[in-house]
Amino acid sequence: MRRPGVYNVGAMDMTRLVVGAGLAVAMSLPVSAHHSFAAEFDANKPVTLKGSVTKVEWQNPHIWVYLDVKDEQGRVQPWQCEGGAPNTLTRNGWSKDTLKFGEQVTIDGALAKDGSKTCNMRVVKLPDGRTVFAGSSGGDAPPKQ
Amino acid sequence: MKVILAIAVVLAVSAPAPVLAQQDYKPPTGPAPRTASGKVDFSGLWQKPYVPDLTKDGKDHKGLAELPFTPWGEADWKKYDAAEGDYTGACLPFGMTRSVNTPEPMQIMQSDTYFTFLFEQNSWFHVVPIDGRPHRKGEPTWFGDSVGRWEGDTLVIDTVNFNGRTRLDTVGHPHSDQLHLVQRFSRPDLGHISHEMIIEDPKTFTKPWKSTRTFTLRTDWEMMEHSCEENNKSLWEGRIKIPKR
Repeated sequence: MRRPGVYNVGAMDMTRLVVGAGLAVAMSLPVSAHHSFAAEFDANKPVTLKGSVTKVEWQNPHIWVYLDVKDEQGRVQPWQCEGGAPNTLTRNGWSKDTLKFGEQVTIDGALAKDGSKTCNMRVVKLPDGRTVFAGSSGGDAPPKQ
Repeated sequence: MKVILAIAVVLAVSAPAPVLAQQDYKPPTGPAPRTASGKVDFSGLWQKPYVPDLTKDGKDHKGLAELPFTPWGEADWKKYDAAEGDYTGACLPFGMTRSVNTPEPMQIMQSDTYFTFLFEQNSWFHVVPIDGRPHRKGEPTWFGDSVGRWEGDTLVIDTVNFNGRTRLDTVGHPHSDQLHLVQRFSRPDLGHISHEMIIEDPKTFTKPWKSTRTFTLRTDWEMMEHSCEENNKSLWEGRIKIPKR
């Protein structure tokens, strides 16, 4: 089942999606003010991505996580997701080694306005349910609908 | 059993660190320190509340829900669309209010002559003479021209001559080049600064209004390098635009 306007990629149990959304609200400490959320992303286009990590860029002004995601036809598509500022994430206990190459993750976030395979990530979840990189670059984003 | 125990140990070791360290922090207690000349000393590394929207209250921040816009201010606010241009996303100088609003900390260094803001965000700084000299005459700038004076134990920093190209907060509340910003710093105890930001701008607002917040001394933090240009993919890949002038 897919809600209108929600772009789900990969198999995702709806119960876990709801739990994930709750965690997203609880864990979304704002960690960067580099730019306005609305300058780049659309809060009305939430996305859930499930894939394997291909690279993490731990650089200012935002970290970026790259992942390969299978679309509904089973084709692998490269995605990139913006996270918070590395300095604040470091102070929160995370590091560039928190995520490893090939690690399976589920990212809950919002799509870029330009239609590219780009997202702003609110929460990155590991298969066992743990979350990493708590916090988003979208501290001024409208409340999740 | 040994196998299960070994798996449990591996999982425990590989688990990401908890994110509770900041919540557990308690600032030092005691009276506000003073300089050799007897002035309140604001020096230190300060944690600031992130204030992306000056109309919203938050932890350690109180804003103003309804801003007293003039017709010009109201019109500018209504037409603002960050997708049409975001100067901070383009790594242009944030200006004073948005630099203070950021979640990244700032270090204050103070002498009898100067009060200096060292903002971690983008490694920007702003130097304020506090020895009684008047404002300089010169071209308008992003951070404006600041001078400070003492009112008892409160340091009052007065800033004018802004270029009008910045916005007051991340959501984009406007101001004009007529902005007159007053920041009042007091230190009720060793661990805290009380900060008032009074915004006066007759082109944008019908009357002055203020934002108040509390800064917390972080003796467990050090300033870190921060470069906006290091990996600003959003600008380079065209998703963020530079505002038209």
